[in-house]
Amino acid sequence: MATRSQTAALLVVGALALAACSAGGVKPSSAPQSGAKTLVIDTSFDLKTADPGRTYEPTGLFVGKAVYETLLTFDGADVTKPVPALAESYELSEDGKVLTLKLKKGATFADGSPLTADDVVFSLTRVRDMKGTPSFLLDGVEIAKTDDTTITLTSKAPNPALPYILPNPALGVINSKVAKEHGATTDAGDKAEQYLNTASAGSGPYTIESFNLSSQVVLRANPKYYGAKPAYDRVVIRNVEAATQKLNVQRGDSQVALNLSGDQVTGMPANLQVKKTASANVIFLLANQDSSVSKTTPNAKFVEALRKGVDYAGLLELAGEGSTQAPGIIPSQLLGALPQDQAAKRDVEGAKAALAASGLSNPTVKLEFPSELTVNGLSFQPLAERIQANLKEVGITVDLAPAPVTTALDNYRNGKEELGLWYWGPDYPDPSDYLAFLPGKLVGLRAGWKDGADKAVSAAGDKAATTIGDEARKAAYADVQTKLNASGPFIPLIQPSQNIVTAASVTGLEYHPVWTVDLADLGAK
Amino acid sequence: MTDPDGPSGTATAVPEPPEKAAGTRGRRRALRHPLARFLLRRVLIAVLLAWGITVVTFVLTNLVPGDPATANLGQRALGDPAIVAQWRQDHGLDKPLPQQYLIHLGGMLQGDLGVSQQSHRPVSQDLAETVPATLELAGAAIVVSLILGVAFGVVAALRRDRLPDHVLRVLSLIGISVPTFWLALVAFYVFFYRLQITPGSGRIDPGLQAPPPVTGLATVDSALAGQWDVFASAVGHLLTPALVLALYTIGLLTRFTRSAVLEVLGQDYVRAARAKGLPGRVILFRYVLRSALVPIITVAGLAFGSLLSGTVLVEAIFAWPGVGQYAYKSATTLDLPAVMGVGLVVGGVYLVINLIVDVLYGVIDPRVRLQ
Repeated sequence: MATRSQTAALLVVGALALAACSAGGVKPSSAPQSGAKTLVIDTSFDLKTADPGRTYEPTGLFVGKAVYETLLTFDGADVTKPVPALAESYELSEDGKVLTLKLKKGATFADGSPLTADDVVFSLTRVRDMKGTPSFLLDGVEIAKTDDTTITLTSKAPNPALPYILPNPALGVINSKVAKEHGATTDAGDKAEQYLNTASAGSGPYTIESFNLSSQVVLRANPKYYGAKPAYDRVVIRNVEAATQKLNVQRGDSQVALNLSGDQVTGMPANLQVKKTASANVIFLLANQDSSVSKTTPNAKFVEALRKGVDYAGLLELAGEGSTQAPGIIPSQLLGALPQDQAAKRDVEGAKAALAASGLSNPTVKLEFPSELTVNGLSFQPLAERIQANLKEVGITVDLAPAPVTTALDNYRNGKEELGLWYWGPDYPDPSDYLAFLPGKLVGLRAGWKDGADKAVSAAGDKAATTIGDEARKAAYADVQTKLNASGPFIPLIQPSQNIVTAASVTGLEYHPVWTVDLADLGAK
Repeated sequence: MTDPDGPSGTATAVPEPPEKAAGTRGRRRALRHPLARFLLRRVLIAVLLAWGITVVTFVLTNLVPGDPATANLGQRALGDPAIVAQWRQDHGLDKPLPQQYLIHLGGMLQGDLGVSQQSHRPVSQDLAETVPATLELAGAAIVVSLILGVAFGVVAALRRDRLPDHVLRVLSLIGISVPTFWLALVAFYVFFYRLQITPGSGRIDPGLQAPPPVTGLATVDSALAGQWDVFASAVGHLLTPALVLALYTIGLLTRFTRSAVLEVLGQDYVRAARAKGLPGRVILFRYVLRSALVPIITVAGLAFGSLLSGTVLVEAIFAWPGVGQYAYKSATTLDLPAVMGVGLVVGGVYLVINLIVDVLYGVIDPRVRLQ
């Protein structure tokens, strides 16, 4: 007869054995299919919905890209040229107002039904008129079916950005018949979100097996996918903190970790692949031009002192390998980005001279930034501290004012920050997205830069917005940024690195500025 | 015959049928029963407290300097007044604050906790998914705490000022002093990554199919479905976070049990029992532990509350999809319906635990039984 201590010992051994069995990756009988290839991806969720018409968060776009297809897409990481997806070809009229798309034949939804021009018109109209977060993408665009295979998108003003907007997964085409049966409409009364959070109504390479906003999303290969079969039968996307992501991928519990900082990817074992790519997020300083907010920052010479006083190389050091300096507000991946040789350089003497010319003596300014926000794993706090130290050398005292993101965003959005440290990621990979930084526009107003405050910059922006043709647009946007750097209230700082760690078995991964990773591109070896 | 307690203006009182009168008398007698009165009082207090929670969460969430629209809409959408207005209308934020509160309150009275601004789903649906995960974690932690904490406390008291006592006192001090989030990180690193003896984050292995939800507890649901590989995985995944969470409570219970047992050991009736020659085991379980249990249960009830707050960080590190993570996300995005829903659930758990503790006092100690 066993003694109590023996029984206790048995219980402990049993518990450990259970844990060890579970840890050791025993072939489970509840595994979906024997021999099925499962890919586990760890990321920090900012998921709100699986309804493509309401999606606008990075995790949502990543899931949406796998489940829904768009008319156009991008080839790998190259965002300078939209390529056909559901549309086999597209043509922009000479005046840039009419985009004509020819639909590919043979595309089907996950239920096997054919994808038609009516589905396209319904899906795009729904996004535009539901007044959800991505509605602005198609603001003022008329959507029409010319015939069974032709769609025309007509804008009132020249809209050369439209081919770059269409690949956004928020504009994924849904099965209109199924969606309507579940409450989808083309107005604010749409009720299909609940259904689209539990089931797939798309034509993409994957379908939704389960969708939980706070823990994990499981995708299954679409058995009726008309295109190339994806390499993985099942993809598990888990919501995991960055520190845990690192240990999971190192141990082999996951195959992809998406949100590691520069420090975290240092010293990764050789059996893992580390991809460090400059992200498309541009971190910048803004100096408010509204004299009712600050008596200091509207001074042009003061802004020049800021621009010359910041140690850009030091900020890159903080951001880690793979990061790059932002010469202009448009990130390096996009058409119209300024070359690195036009990037600002630190010039302490020049900064001191500009400060002296400003007529301000020992100015003190308040720098506001979101305290808990990280961009590509990089926190704003060390960046703000470094800027504070840089400007101290110039003779500018910076008081740091970190605030929770919701509080800081309110001040930023209402144009009440004297000096702000923020970032901008592209809504779509076209330079026209950055016209928001011009006087009187969305971000310009946040810097107290009202319409008409700088006529030269506004004129350059107006010209760029209507210019047609890649080369001409490139030159026009370069001109906008050069003028913006010379007289604008924004100081572009850096593009932090997007660090993605994968197991050696995962191939074909490319970082994409809009949807982070395209699961259909991933291979297995 | 008139009923002296009848309403004024009643000309003639109709006598109640005998069976109905007996039923009314029975109900009145039942209400006069001390336990019924006690429970009724508790329910009334619970209703008042629940109302208080709604007021406090509503006021605090609206006092925070921040706009829920800013927290929930993208930068571009915020620049479009039509989208912002639509969003406010969808979430009832276009109405005056008192009206918003009354709408929330009215919904709650009908069992409707509103729709989360983050998930766009009913809060009750979100809570039905997250609360069981946390209860499974906190429940496992409290069971482990009670078993180990009481056992260690008894051993320390019986071996007072000897080696086991010194060791257990130091260990309990460590358990109380070490921050839970640090311990969680270290435990995950050591047991999962270095020693490779525990599974990774989440509730089950990612390669497994989750069992059909019945209770929401992965261990129970997998057992009910007969998915024993999933059961093993669920227990394995539960072990480390539950132990991490339990360590503080184990330390606390060890110290309280030790002092409670020591106090009882010095009582005359224990000496008398010893003098009568009763076996040590009988003295311990029938005389010592029973008396010492009152303070232990008080501490265990309080500890369960601290376990719930401790889950926020433990859940984050072990990617445990519980109410702690949901509460954090809701609070940082000013998601009022979700914050109020979480507040009500946590408040409800506290009330239930307190009720259980009060009832247990009476069960354990006849002196505190209601007359």
